[in-house]
Amino acid sequence: MSIVFLLIPLGIVLMAASVVALFWAVDSGQYDGELEQEGRRILDGESDEDVTTRWSPRPPT
Amino acid sequence: MTNYSAFTVQGMHCSNCARTVEKSIGEVDGVKRVTVNASTAQASVEWDHSRASLQEIFDAVRRSGFTPVQLAEEAADAERLARRSALKRIGVAGLGMMQTMMFVYALYAGGAHGIDASIEQYLRLTGMLFATPVLFYSGAPFFAGALRDIRRRAVGMDVPVAGALALAYTVSVFNTLRGRGQIYYDSVTMFVFFLSAGRYVEMIVRQRSLNATEALSHSLPATAAVMRDDGSIERVPLALVKGGDRLSIAKGAVIPVDGSLLSESALVDESLITGESTPLTKGRSAALLGGAINLGHPIELVTSAAAADSTLAGIVGLLQKAQAERPSMARTADRAASIFSLITLVLATAVAISWGLVDPSKALPATLAVLVITCPCALSLATPATVAAATTRLSRSGVLILRPDALERLARVDTVVLDKTGTLTRGLPTASIRYLAPGSSGEQALAIAAALERSSEHPLASAFAPYALTAVTANETREYAGRGVQGIVAGRTWRLGQREFVAELCPKDADARIGGLVLGSDSGVLATFHTQDTLSEGAGAAVQELRNLGLGLVIASGDTEEAVCEVARALGVHAWSGRVSPNGKLALVKELQGKGHRVLMIGDGVNDGPVLAGAYVSCAIAQGSAIAQAGADLLLVQTSLSPVSVAVRTARSALRTMRQNLLWALVYNISAIPLAALGWVAPWVAAIGMSMSSLIVVANAARLAGPDNRNTRRTREGVGAGLPDVHQEPAR
Repeated sequence: MSIVFLLIPLGIVLMAASVVALFWAVDSGQYDGELEQEGRRILDGESDEDVTTRWSPRPPT
Repeated sequence: MTNYSAFTVQGMHCSNCARTVEKSIGEVDGVKRVTVNASTAQASVEWDHSRASLQEIFDAVRRSGFTPVQLAEEAADAERLARRSALKRIGVAGLGMMQTMMFVYALYAGGAHGIDASIEQYLRLTGMLFATPVLFYSGAPFFAGALRDIRRRAVGMDVPVAGALALAYTVSVFNTLRGRGQIYYDSVTMFVFFLSAGRYVEMIVRQRSLNATEALSHSLPATAAVMRDDGSIERVPLALVKGGDRLSIAKGAVIPVDGSLLSESALVDESLITGESTPLTKGRSAALLGGAINLGHPIELVTSAAAADSTLAGIVGLLQKAQAERPSMARTADRAASIFSLITLVLATAVAISWGLVDPSKALPATLAVLVITCPCALSLATPATVAAATTRLSRSGVLILRPDALERLARVDTVVLDKTGTLTRGLPTASIRYLAPGSSGEQALAIAAALERSSEHPLASAFAPYALTAVTANETREYAGRGVQGIVAGRTWRLGQREFVAELCPKDADARIGGLVLGSDSGVLATFHTQDTLSEGAGAAVQELRNLGLGLVIASGDTEEAVCEVARALGVHAWSGRVSPNGKLALVKELQGKGHRVLMIGDGVNDGPVLAGAYVSCAIAQGSAIAQAGADLLLVQTSLSPVSVAVRTARSALRTMRQNLLWALVYNISAIPLAALGWVAPWVAAIGMSMSSLIVVANAARLAGPDNRNTRRTREGVGAGLPDVHQEPAR
């Protein structure tokens, strides 16, 4: 059973990582608009060069 | 370095438009990210402060053929931040909840099968580790709310929530630290998660309805073309127009601000403000009213006051006021929730004491279950959620709710009284021949009239446009304001207009047929025309739909009996009366209401002020800011009647939903309390039950907002599209 002494802290680290990822995603504005819109964008059928949306690599200050 | 800005883009109709705008903004150097949402008409841009300016971005939008409008930025920002922090709180609560449940379940299983004491303590500590951030980060709003309530010496629903959370957490921590006893980390995290999720859904529904209303108020001219000293024209937000600014007004545009005319002359339709249906000719430095429509050539004016003081600001103010007021039913529910919360606290104390005497080991779980399960969240969500959803639905179809209780009353209406002019008829005249000089051709007469009217800006001119012939043209046309037009056709001077005006040209025919427009030359009167207003588009279908809803219909108009009868017959309405003064209309409505009918009055909001105020519920057609004084309960943003039946139907289902919700909330709370008090419900089951009851209420209400957004686009056309009401033949 001593394996839980390793696995649970690992789980905690993973949790912390997920929270950080969530905060990044929310702060970068991914959930600001309508969620369907990004999906629809693909169906609009334009080539990559036309896509003008660029996600900023880091959260806005 | 990075700036963020959100603004509205006017004129977009589809996702392709949105893409065009996106592309155009994306090409601006320094723009990092841009999203344009077609359905909310919102653009959000992040850009590098040092490489681009908002001005350049706005220019890019204009280049793509649309108009950017700056929203009240702080409001949009605050909304966005609130949404973001709510999402983070939910995320943390959800992740924490899943972890906590895992450890607590292991403890339960361990309790049943035997577990090493050190592992048990380890799992408890881990549970505490996960529950703590959930409580203090995700649960913070509940504690803040409870504190606020306590400071105001009121009991809101946050008080029992915060109480339950604090109690469960404190006991769990105490038991964790001393190494024995029950822990409730799972209940704490679940409660926080489901409650936050419910509140998030409610916030989204509310924000959406606010946005929909805001989008509608933006269909008023949101910007004005201000002329700078160097002759350049700049479009600035209406709010920034100051007294003394020079504005340029395009043909057909709404004059946004009160001012005086700089151009030589102007033809304006002030029916929106004054109710005067005849277009007026204004000379240089005459006063122009904000809200009037410029019917003639483009003009310039100098504003006499800031936009905020303009009569047109009335509508927006009205909307804001309407949003600030809360429906009486919601207030009742709030009071009920407050009383209920108090009862919950008393009850929980009673349960704690009773169990303490009977079986102390069960006292805590039973008390927690009572506190959690009886949270009156569903009760206080029932009405606001329904109203918000119905408001969204209505504003999508072009109906604004101005009075908080209008929805409830609209649902109970059984009779509709309709004004005719401007309501059923559309103010687009058609011409027909009434009298024709012997031996002449009607086609020829209409063609001459069309030629004379071609360059005229007068609304009646459009009646002749369909009859124009290329072979017949007029030269040297001159317009005599309020009298008629004169021009030379095939070498002969013709006049079209008032009888006296034409008679000056051909005195021998001075008493030709009375009424209508007279067309004559120096050789006599050729013809007289009858101009008639046509039914507005969709009026027939709209009336039929109202009838299908089981509503009685009455037409009341100040127009001639003949004209009213014609319209009534065309629409299949049997009850009508003509030549009714505004007070007569009020008397008619009062009489109907005296007989026990609940009357919905639909009118133009200017002449019908008293009757709109006197009716059980009233609906004004948005024809300018005078509606601010009209006392209408509802406002039709378009000049079309078709949204009325949608509104009645939505109001009826809203009332039904509201009742369902309240009933459900009451039944749930009342039936759950005994179960919880008897200790049959574990705290975590209570958390799920409470949250589910709230979610059911919100989901039931959300059905109203529905996927039906067929009318989204039409609502953006706006008040400015309102045409002048020219049924009564204007003086020429």
